[in-house]
Amino acid sequence: MTAPLYIAVRFATHRKRALLLSLIGIVFGVSIFICTQAQTQGFAQYFIDSTIGSNGALIVRSRFQPRYQGMVVSSKSTGATTRRNFFEGINNVSEIMRISRQFSNVVACSPVLRGTVGARAGFQTTTIDLFGIDPTAHLRTTDLAKQIISGRFDDFRNNPMSVIVGYRLAEQLEVGDGDAIQLLSPGGEYWRFTVAATARSGVSTIDTSRVYAHSRVAGRLLKKPYEASMIIYKLRDRDRAPALADHFENLFQHTAQSWQEREEGTLQIFSTLSISTAITVSLIILLAGFGIFNVLTMSVLSKVREIAILRSMGYRRGDISAIFLWQGAFIAGVGSLIGCILGALLTWGVSHVPIHIHGLLYTNYFLVVWDWRHYLEGTALAIVAVFIASYVPAQRAARLQPVDTLRGSSL
Amino acid sequence: MKGDLSLSCRDIERHLGEEEERVHALRGVSIDVEAGSLHAVVGPSGCGKSTLLYILGLLDKPDAGSVIIGSTSISHLADEELARRRNELIGFIFQFHFLMEDFSAEENVMIPMRRRGQLSESQMRERAGVLLEAVGLGNKRRRPSRHLSGGEQQRVAIARSLANDPQVILADEPTGNLDTNNSQRAFELLANIVREREKALLLVTHNRFIADACDWVHEMQDGRIIASHPRGQRISV
Repeated sequence: MTAPLYIAVRFATHRKRALLLSLIGIVFGVSIFICTQAQTQGFAQYFIDSTIGSNGALIVRSRFQPRYQGMVVSSKSTGATTRRNFFEGINNVSEIMRISRQFSNVVACSPVLRGTVGARAGFQTTTIDLFGIDPTAHLRTTDLAKQIISGRFDDFRNNPMSVIVGYRLAEQLEVGDGDAIQLLSPGGEYWRFTVAATARSGVSTIDTSRVYAHSRVAGRLLKKPYEASMIIYKLRDRDRAPALADHFENLFQHTAQSWQEREEGTLQIFSTLSISTAITVSLIILLAGFGIFNVLTMSVLSKVREIAILRSMGYRRGDISAIFLWQGAFIAGVGSLIGCILGALLTWGVSHVPIHIHGLLYTNYFLVVWDWRHYLEGTALAIVAVFIASYVPAQRAARLQPVDTLRGSSL
Repeated sequence: MKGDLSLSCRDIERHLGEEEERVHALRGVSIDVEAGSLHAVVGPSGCGKSTLLYILGLLDKPDAGSVIIGSTSISHLADEELARRRNELIGFIFQFHFLMEDFSAEENVMIPMRRRGQLSESQMRERAGVLLEAVGLGNKRRRPSRHLSGGEQQRVAIARSLANDPQVILADEPTGNLDTNNSQRAFELLANIVREREKALLLVTHNRFIADACDWVHEMQDGRIIASHPRGQRISV
């Protein structure tokens, strides 16, 4: 153990109350930072998982072709998006899917024929979002099987005239497994289906409007002039979805949208919330830093005599500075360690607090995410705050002239 | 003077304070202290005794003149180097003992050794024990220094000043805070150690009995050494 470290430990342990106060500030700052980040990102993560689990990480839809722009090309590039003509739907579905599967990032893909139709069950009527799917392909691409909360997916797979209904839509239409539901075709005729299962994605907009049917039946019901409205993709690395979407657009000449682009608005809300809480908690750590600044400044003032003694015995300015920086490091290190443990306990505790959110998301408990980066960020924040808080008192201590103290005592 | 020269200074000038409050504290002071000898600096308060001591102890820098330890002039060295020399070559004893109150007697003695970093923890502890034994505190080595009497604390300070086996011991009124008996004991202890271990001792004192017991007495007035007397040739203190 170096001389400054030894003396720092002895100084710190001597001022137990001040040390405890400094530690408490850092412990609470770090633990609250970890807990709040776990919560805000927990909700965001749940939303992302749910929306990707239902709609895929990437969607290819309408075909497009560049719009005619005349013979004379401007010498200046405007940088504006190329103007396009869009044509709804995809006709060469098999070809696009075959090529797509050759990309290493693509795990699976599934065509969907989508349309809006009226639904009736008993005396209840509403408008629904019909997803015509290939059950096998869709199962590989989405989490639909996991989202089933009543009924069986196999019943749906084996019965072409059955549907899976979003659980809130089922509540609204007052239907359950085995009940009949009628869907109104664009031609004005009602088609009768059996409810094979109800599903809960966790995303309100899906659960309140979506009905899954077999794609062939949906095609006859919707009378669309194309094979599929879109192809949805499951990716190995969902963070690379935007790059793949750009590539697919150029390759297939169809609109391709990543989940980041599709959910941009909602993700921005989560991001804003996360930043907002991070700022709030950072302020707590900053306030703890001010506390440490005060404690160490008082420590320097109360140790003026000891500093003079140490200097007279050959301790350098750097040693004196190191004594107070070590105290700060001790506070930051121990405070962060306890803060991380407390943060984990708080996060665990919060994840067991019952709440009933059945709005944008569906959850009965606080959602949290366990991410080591929160612990690293909280610790880094504490270290930076404590270093800044320790640096000034440490420099002040190093600048003290021992002769002034010694002369004041003995001349 | 006899023996090897341990500490000397030449033509030291030092001003203290600024502008209207500026004081010419030392005016061309020169002094030689050889190994194994005791030197006392006496004089009225404010005559520059402590200022001279701090300059000789490398805690303060002279405005002019030089400080020589052994055969090396060191007053021009950088702050870091001065600190290293101070740690290795000089031992300090102060009037108010200046111990770390929360440290034990042993820990206080080990402070200079820790800075030097040449001994292991057990070696430092062993050496501190030997030094405390030498000053009669072998049985109180683990006691916090604040729980020691004034005389005992000063003896710990003496042991601490010897921690790194320095060439020179500088003492600023080392008995100024002790009663007559303890003053006598502390000084005798210090004098014996200095003579036995061939150290050079320069002490500032107001105590005429202690000054009389030193090999040389230097009388200061208004920043100058006005007279230096060997033992037995003193006129007044």
